[in-house]
Amino acid sequence: MSAVTTIDAPVVDELEAIMGGEEGAVLTNVSSRVNRTRVPAPFPVHRWAEFLPAAVVMPRTAEQVSEILKLANRHRIPVVPRAGGTGLADGAVPLRGGIVLDVKLMNQIKEVDLVDRTVTVGPGINMLKLNEELRPHGVFFPDAPASYPCSLVGGRIACSGMSLLNARYGHTRDLVVSMQLVLPTGEIIEVGEGGGRKLRKSSTGYNLKQLFMGHQGTLGIVTEATLELAPRAEAEFAAFFAFDDYMKAHATVGNIARSGLGTIAGVVLFDEHKIAYLRRDDEAFIPMPPWVVSVVAVALYGAKVEVQAASRRIMELGRSEGGRYTGDEMADGDWASRHDRYANPLHGRLPDGKVAPMSWHCEDAAINFSALPKVREEWHELVASYRERYGIFDDWGMYAYTTGAYKPWGDLLTEIDVGIWEQELDDENWAGWVSLKHEIAKVSLKHGGSITSCHGATRAGDAELVAQEMGSGWDAMKKIKRTFDPNNVMNPGKLMLDEAYADENGGGPR
Amino acid sequence: MRRFRQDEQQPPQARPIADGVIMRLDHVFEVDPALMGSHFKQQRMPVWDTERIVDSRWQHLRWMHAHFADELLVAGEPAELGAEHVVDQPEMESRKHDISDGAG
Repeated sequence: MSAVTTIDAPVVDELEAIMGGEEGAVLTNVSSRVNRTRVPAPFPVHRWAEFLPAAVVMPRTAEQVSEILKLANRHRIPVVPRAGGTGLADGAVPLRGGIVLDVKLMNQIKEVDLVDRTVTVGPGINMLKLNEELRPHGVFFPDAPASYPCSLVGGRIACSGMSLLNARYGHTRDLVVSMQLVLPTGEIIEVGEGGGRKLRKSSTGYNLKQLFMGHQGTLGIVTEATLELAPRAEAEFAAFFAFDDYMKAHATVGNIARSGLGTIAGVVLFDEHKIAYLRRDDEAFIPMPPWVVSVVAVALYGAKVEVQAASRRIMELGRSEGGRYTGDEMADGDWASRHDRYANPLHGRLPDGKVAPMSWHCEDAAINFSALPKVREEWHELVASYRERYGIFDDWGMYAYTTGAYKPWGDLLTEIDVGIWEQELDDENWAGWVSLKHEIAKVSLKHGGSITSCHGATRAGDAELVAQEMGSGWDAMKKIKRTFDPNNVMNPGKLMLDEAYADENGGGPR
Repeated sequence: MRRFRQDEQQPPQARPIADGVIMRLDHVFEVDPALMGSHFKQQRMPVWDTERIVDSRWQHLRWMHAHFADELLVAGEPAELGAEHVVDQPEMESRKHDISDGAG
């Protein structure tokens, strides 16, 4: 299955039968397939046709998903699950054609349990929509990515996503209590803590739930998830502090993260290139005097009595290394916009300073707190070098987010935003882009980090380093993949997992 | 409600705000048109449309705060950015409360 897989009319007929003949449940028209080919991340637009799926199916039940996967195994057809399609690592991009299984119609809220504090949903529901429904009950599902208004629960699980509010409430992996999923061969299983659907801690058996967290569609398809319900926050507090030196800002992040304040939801560090980007952009423009080269943002959530007390301590800590408060207005506006970074403007700058339309690439990594300053230097040097050589890239600066759930110290989700002028892509420029990403990822590994903290290692440039990063665990990962997916139908070509089948097929996929 | 007047829909003369940034309407920042070119044409927009877009964005941000928490607390302290910080952001009409006075 290394070539793009097409499907014949009789297979389409089988899919139609599985879907009960429902109109629109099996889509083979060009626009439906084109619209489910790429994700927001930069894409080789000059080779779009190579990534087109042959068909799109939109199931409503786990049983339909099961039958689709059994069909895929019979015919050796790749299946790529797709939820919101908002991922930044190409997890939902078909590399071998085949079937895209779109879960958007599996968007029901099946149960709200206010006693044992769970909500059970289909994978196609969006967190914003879910929380609108939960609000009258005084509870919320606190998974808040930068794509909050548009990403879906199924994609959050498949990517093991990062939540902005992680220090207070945890990430997706901490907020899924249990889930139902369909294995690549079609079996429907439940995984959670032991055998419990609504239990938070069990010591029975293997912890299978986390195995299916962040699998990027290579181990099956989530068809139902039972999620955590947190008390809706009475109060929110945000504050931003400006610095004349990046290292002072870095130290301030450490001071806040180690403070022991339980209401801290997240701390964000903006570097000099990010400030420069914000200074020049018309939609995100933030007026800052020239001495400001770094900013630290802090957000607290919880009961008002806690937040109010902690906020006073935050105002002290924010100034502990010379930070200066940027004012109430920035606290208001910019923190709210953190929940919706997909509204980012796309005005890139060419080396001559002129504006060009650019796509947004966010290269993420998990980096220890101590290694961040060095990684930052090396990443910017790389982007500058490629920008000079190719002329179609732009450095949009770096953010670093506290990322330890309930313990925001020690390591940071670190990301560099790079603009890329997609209209100018050809094979040479795309190869340069992939090479840049590869070198950025190698820097992360060199400094003891992980090549991704939240997006996934499924993109060209990153994916070739998965085996290196997994090290002695790589063989075990391949065995797991082959055991669950003997015919390599689930999202083939991702995460180097074709290697799991190499000894059976002379080095190629099945 | 404000009466619509055609002669008010032409934005005023641009003022430079920072390197590469101009402002025609208060608190609405634009890339310097000199930097725009054949790659990305700058749109000419009537005042009402610019105001609609800006108001919608602030409405969205207010909505987002209310979506996540019942009440928004702020420090209630002035910005400490110094004399160079001459461009103020618009005050949000929100549910925000000053933490120093324990209001709300």
